[in-house]
Amino acid sequence: MPARHGNARAPGCSAMRCEPDVLTLPLYQWLRPTSIDEVLRVLAEHPGECLLVAGGTDAVPNMKHRLHEPRRVVSLGGVRDLHFVREDDAGLHLGPGLTLRELAEHPRVRESLPALARAASLVASPQIRNMGTLGGNLCLDTRCTYYNQTYFWREALGFCLKKDGLLCHVVPQGKRCVAAHSSDVAPMLIALGAQVEIASSTARRTIAVEDFFVGDGVHNNVLVPTEMVTKVWVPAASFGMEMAYQKLRPRGAIDFPMLSVAVAARREGDSIAMVRIVVSALGAKPRVIGQLDALAMGQIPDEALFERVGAVAHKQCHPLTNVPYDHEWRHEMVPVFVRRALRDAFGKA
Amino acid sequence: MDAPETVICRLTVNGDRMECAVTPGTTLLEALRYGLGLTGSKQGCDKGDCGACTVLVDGHPVLACISLVLAHEGRGIRTVEGLATKGIPHALQDAFDRTGGAQCGFCTPGVLMSACALLERNDAPTRHEIAEALSGNLCRCTGYTKIFEAVELAASEMRERA
Amino acid sequence: MSEAGNKSSADPKDAMAIPKGRVMPRPDRLSPPVWEGGRTAPPHGEFRTIGKRNRKVEGLAKVTGRAIYADDISLPRMLHAKLLRSIHAHARIIAIDASQALAIPGVHAVITGKDLPTYFGIIPWTEDEQALCEDKARYVGDAIAAVAADTEYLAEEALRRIKVEYQVLPIVHDIDTALAHPEWQVNEKASEGNLSKHVHLEFGPVDDLLGASDVVVEGDYWYEGNTHAPIEPHCCVAEFDATGLLTMWSSTQVAHYLHRDLAKVLGLPTQRVRVIQPVVGGAFGGKSEPFSLEFCAAKLSMLTGRPVKILYTREEVFYAHRGRHPMRMHYRTGITRDGKLTGTDARILIDGGAYSSFGLVTTYYSGQLLTAPYAMPAYRFDSTRVFTNKPCCGPKRGHGSVQPRFAFECQLDKMSEAIGLDPIEVRRRNFIGPDTSTVNGMRVTSNGFLDCLSAAERASAWKDKFRKLPYGRGVGVAGSMYISGTNYCIYPNEMPQSAVQLKLDRSGRATVFSGCSDIGQGVDSVLAYIVCEELGLELRDVRVLAADTDLTPVDLGSYSSRETFMVGNACLDAARHLREKIAETLAHVWGCGKGEVVLADGIACATSDPTRCVMSVKDAFQAAEARHGTLGSVGWYQSPQLGGDYRGGTIGASPAYSFTAHVAEVECDPETGIVHVKKIWVAHDCGRALSPVAVEGQMEGSAYMGFAEAILESGTYKPAAAGHPHGLHHGPNLLDYRLPTSLDTPELEALIIESVDPEGPYGAKEAGEGPLHPSVPAIANAIHDALGIRCDALPFSPPSVLRLLRASDARASWERARAGLQRDAVRA
Repeated sequence: MPARHGNARAPGCSAMRCEPDVLTLPLYQWLRPTSIDEVLRVLAEHPGECLLVAGGTDAVPNMKHRLHEPRRVVSLGGVRDLHFVREDDAGLHLGPGLTLRELAEHPRVRESLPALARAASLVASPQIRNMGTLGGNLCLDTRCTYYNQTYFWREALGFCLKKDGLLCHVVPQGKRCVAAHSSDVAPMLIALGAQVEIASSTARRTIAVEDFFVGDGVHNNVLVPTEMVTKVWVPAASFGMEMAYQKLRPRGAIDFPMLSVAVAARREGDSIAMVRIVVSALGAKPRVIGQLDALAMGQIPDEALFERVGAVAHKQCHPLTNVPYDHEWRHEMVPVFVRRALRDAFGKA
Repeated sequence: MDAPETVICRLTVNGDRMECAVTPGTTLLEALRYGLGLTGSKQGCDKGDCGACTVLVDGHPVLACISLVLAHEGRGIRTVEGLATKGIPHALQDAFDRTGGAQCGFCTPGVLMSACALLERNDAPTRHEIAEALSGNLCRCTGYTKIFEAVELAASEMRERA
Repeated sequence: MSEAGNKSSADPKDAMAIPKGRVMPRPDRLSPPVWEGGRTAPPHGEFRTIGKRNRKVEGLAKVTGRAIYADDISLPRMLHAKLLRSIHAHARIIAIDASQALAIPGVHAVITGKDLPTYFGIIPWTEDEQALCEDKARYVGDAIAAVAADTEYLAEEALRRIKVEYQVLPIVHDIDTALAHPEWQVNEKASEGNLSKHVHLEFGPVDDLLGASDVVVEGDYWYEGNTHAPIEPHCCVAEFDATGLLTMWSSTQVAHYLHRDLAKVLGLPTQRVRVIQPVVGGAFGGKSEPFSLEFCAAKLSMLTGRPVKILYTREEVFYAHRGRHPMRMHYRTGITRDGKLTGTDARILIDGGAYSSFGLVTTYYSGQLLTAPYAMPAYRFDSTRVFTNKPCCGPKRGHGSVQPRFAFECQLDKMSEAIGLDPIEVRRRNFIGPDTSTVNGMRVTSNGFLDCLSAAERASAWKDKFRKLPYGRGVGVAGSMYISGTNYCIYPNEMPQSAVQLKLDRSGRATVFSGCSDIGQGVDSVLAYIVCEELGLELRDVRVLAADTDLTPVDLGSYSSRETFMVGNACLDAARHLREKIAETLAHVWGCGKGEVVLADGIACATSDPTRCVMSVKDAFQAAEARHGTLGSVGWYQSPQLGGDYRGGTIGASPAYSFTAHVAEVECDPETGIVHVKKIWVAHDCGRALSPVAVEGQMEGSAYMGFAEAILESGTYKPAAAGHPHGLHHGPNLLDYRLPTSLDTPELEALIIESVDPEGPYGAKEAGEGPLHPSVPAIANAIHDALGIRCDALPFSPPSVLRLLRASDARASWERARAGLQRDAVRA
């Protein structure tokens, strides 16, 4: 065989079976339904055994790490009725099968919900945004520095509360997993008052995105094993709001949020009529900052107010060691990024 | 132990229809590299963090190492092997060679695919737009400078030719 | 190198004396031929290939996806192997039961430490590693057993069924624990406790000069460990054939050392081992010694009679490591009011991880490579490397000297500020000059450092920016030196360090055979350029066949920035020998003088009558072959006898030193602590740029990597907590270990300086490692100019910058620094 620049390839191109790669995937059955009804039927037939995979950017690495070991993988790539953007008087209806790039680049989204487009455009990398979907980002598994590791690493750790173990390494006495909600689009959707439609083979319900999440890092949303997200609806009332999304990450790309702040507000005249601030990458669910009505309603959006709002957020948000970046510093960054998001939203950058 | 269920997967790669025996757990990268002998696409991190495995699916860069191959039947896949036309290197490939855009060359196939997708939608990208488009492709050798120069050179030559 | 072993450490008192039993270089050491006109001039009046912006020989293979890397190789009947690794940071191995693994159909062999008991190590005096741990695991990820199976999936399954009984031992997780608990011995090969190596050397009256200084600055520095993270993970394929020949394709940068160690550990005659280096996807020092995978794949191939491949996962690459050593450094440096350096006193503690690797050299380098580009009247360093229960550190780009350079260049900045002088001016005033000797006895020949300083100063508009930019923005400067190869082989011998065999074919093609290692830096191309230059060939007519121990003569490999200088010289000599033969032939044919014969652009002619005396180079080859017989030649390189006349005095000695100066410009956010490095001007004296594209690439890549270490990357470990002990890597993957993306990397401007080294091939010196050094201190110094804080600990992450801003009145020191410039010196 030639040493270096030759065609040092032995047979194998005609290929029998592909040899598994270095991080193998678990054994599972592959299902590729073509409609929502079919997906729901599969979920109903095999409750608790299925993993829905759209772009796979979260699910596949997690399977490689044996964080998910499903009996069945249900590919959503062929489900056309998950892929749509529709607008009516009620607002914008977004299919969970939209890729994050499609969401970020959609003219209606950019025009009416620029901060949502921005949040989607800040997810990971261009490749991930081409693969990952709105629904996938919404249902993103919670993340923790003690959890998003290989099986080997977790074995060396002694595993953790979220998977295979009994102990939480973030809150040692904790009985509840505090892995971090790490979606970029979810905080923005909550701030905008968006709703999510959930379906099973027997029922359909629509709830606020805010209520979609629960404070349990093991499974941080309300979906039961027979359900899936079939639509995200952003009400027309949110169009034209003052809005902004700020993401803190060590690098200009690829990284999950180390802290995220979403702001949506409405102005009447010079003063604030409504403001919602959502901070995430803290614990298992995004935190909607409270006490804002009393503080901000009727106020002029100026530096002094942003300062006070930031201080309130600082008190209410408590970053943990779950996210692999200095938690004390992230705590200090809460008011900074809240102020920056407010400045962006009110055009005072 | 259970043997993984083996199925035949039909793929369209660089315009060629190809068949390959896979399991549901086979990634697109494994199928390309080990099943179809298209070893140009590389594996650097194996979980979507580095971009060395970037290929185009229906014109968009994706990470083949975290793409399940069975989800790609019926889609148009393009790899670094499909950039040249009848053995003549693509303007990007030629520019990378001339400007030193490839040092060790391991990230290069992925970088080329991201750059190719960029130039197909933007024939005169700014340096910042290039950096944005390549922000999912880690290069450890060049400090990106010569990569930017290569993409700019290719873009200008492609504009002249068009 | 002449070192008696790591069991001894130099006694401070007799550091300058020559210890008994030291192996002195032989007086009859080989020396390369001397050419009329030297080796720096172009062979035919002007350079036609050298110094031009040429393509690389393997460039098109790389950009078209045709280059074959180790994992692209697939052999018939090939098995896949995986390694079982320790989940404990420190544990005795009581028993291993692999019976259940072997029972799986499709699993062909399992090996453990008992199958490969021979110790190995890159430095012959510190062989302290086994391919698989036999008695004890020393870090989380240390290899314990290996399985070969039909597929990786089966191999993985088999690993899960191997039962290992461990006895957990106390964990030594850092330098302090290593020193405080010698009884918790990590590495039994250590002379005592957890000491890996101790070096104490003193040159000149350090204390006296410090005492007589106008200003003495004292500082503590912390350099965080980090790793190479080449995008290609380590991979190898081993094939043991029926004739008893072991062929090893490996992503190594030291095929020769791997060749030797494979033979040794596997008990094979060296001549029945063949090592081939395929195209390597980046290395940076991370592939510069043998690793478990190569021994295990080879052994498993011998046991099964089938080819075996091992491809490390990204996580395993982090465990293989050999990255930058964490160093805790204390510096005391003095300066006079008019900016002359006096004494330098350094104490350095080095966290080595579990094994020695190059640690003996690292410990020396941490002191020995600091003594230029500035004249140091007196210098003392005391360096101690300790073993800890972490993956082994080793040589990362700028081996051993990046950390002390950071500390020292920050010291220089502080001293400049204290005496109110511009830090570039202070560096100028202490310039050691060319053709001189350093305080520790290193010979310096060419030296373009002043030109580097001026180029960086000019290009960056330094004078308009330093101490003049608004709060939050700043510029910083730093300089450095680095070796162009070391003057001795890693194992003692007097054979050449590099060699080339050159074959000329009557078809008009030249083939270069060399053991050199192209890891992306472009050394294969350098050889081709040299042959083109000497023989007048087109680049496409030169083939380079490299790093195949069966086919190519020995070159020691790609480390210590040695390739261009050493194999370049070997190649120049080989090509020149053949050029002489061709010139002699043509002179005979044309009846002209030998000196009139020119070979250029595929044409041979005589300058006296180029219209009559002209033929193609191909015809010239044929004429020479007819006259002299088959055309072939050899060239080799052996460095001159160099180094200080004291124990360890040869470590750090190099036939030529490169010099670098950087200016970095930063924009800092005082509210978050985020430092945005806007641009780095990289001025580097590479002697002569044989390939400007490649040299710029090395300069930019080095500066990028230094920036990455300064701002983003840190190879840290999880603190122990309830539920888990020390020793867990923070995140052995490319998401948690953050390499800069295209959006993070500063603009990099390469400014090539050519001092034309008298001994380099056409005057060339190194460019691959030197330009990393100043990035880190230049950024630190720029942050000071911007914010008034001193970043003495890496990385300069936002939390640490913000903490520093809070800890002091940064604004006041910022104001003071501005006011202080060019004011009278104030005694600190």
